[in-house]
Amino acid sequence: MGLKKILLVDDSCTARLVNRMIFSQKSNYELISAVDGKEAVERARQDKPDLILMDIMMPRMTGLEACRVIKQDRSTSNIPVILLTTRGEESYVQEGYASGCSDYLTKPVNDAELLDLLKAYLGE
Amino acid sequence: MIGTAEGSRILRKNSVEKKHANGERTLSTEELRARTQQLSLREQIERNHFLLERLYAASAGIIQALTEGDVHGAIGEILGNLIGSEEVAIFHYNKADRRFVRAWSVGVSNDMLQQFSKGAGMMGRTVSQGLTQFRDRQNQAHLLSCEKNLTASVVLKSSREVVGVILIFGLLPQKNGLEWVDYQLLKFLETYGALAIELHCLQKNAVKP
Repeated sequence: MGLKKILLVDDSCTARLVNRMIFSQKSNYELISAVDGKEAVERARQDKPDLILMDIMMPRMTGLEACRVIKQDRSTSNIPVILLTTRGEESYVQEGYASGCSDYLTKPVNDAELLDLLKAYLGE
Repeated sequence: MIGTAEGSRILRKNSVEKKHANGERTLSTEELRARTQQLSLREQIERNHFLLERLYAASAGIIQALTEGDVHGAIGEILGNLIGSEEVAIFHYNKADRRFVRAWSVGVSNDMLQQFSKGAGMMGRTVSQGLTQFRDRQNQAHLLSCEKNLTASVVLKSSREVVGVILIFGLLPQKNGLEWVDYQLLKFLETYGALAIELHCLQKNAVKP
């Protein structure tokens, strides 16, 4: 079976790195990354990942805006977007789902929870 | 709770349920004991892995910041992404004149920080004892009114000298408190955060004409 491509979007290199290490526990994921929402939209169109894991608070374009753009574009609308953010307040969660995300996770990230969620979307 | 522990619990539940679904015999006490021991060992290994992942990410973040010049921001990222606080202030401490200088902050008002700049309370004890202070381990009667929302005052030490303090105020709403891995990350910052700040200051002073 081919590798599943995941687009990691976070302006924090610490966050990108820790997510990379969590995913490295599984050998069937290929990881690509972007540092803000604008780059995420470009990479989603260009690389067609199987899943996008995206932070919300980022420069240039937030994760919420990027999620809306990705979901409105027919070429990327079927890609599941999981928002992974420090913002756990109810208003942010509601706004996250309104932007079209498939799931909403809060930081600090929990390895098992994240890997289980990816398995649910991408299979073993 | 540490993620690895949760993963193990799921494994345990599934394995027992599968046995019953297949109509196989129930596990004997001896087998259950062996299984529990295996899970406990696995949990310890996974906990250690969980910690090392985060220590590595923290260290790499600081190394990168040394090149890019935003060491305080990198410490803020570690606290936000790995520990779970976006209300942080970093003070440099000058031993000669016993003065605190605010170097960086996020999510805390200036009014609040001004109450800390004189170094009273937990912050003062951090310097005098050379030890990180946690609010929940303090005599609650001795807390200052401005310390109500303070979670920890983390000592920054280089060559046994206190060079600064990180004040961690509120934790993210989804955090119930500091966990085992958080204390280890704070220990890492006590030393390596301090060294990075010291190096950053030396580099900054060196480029001044």
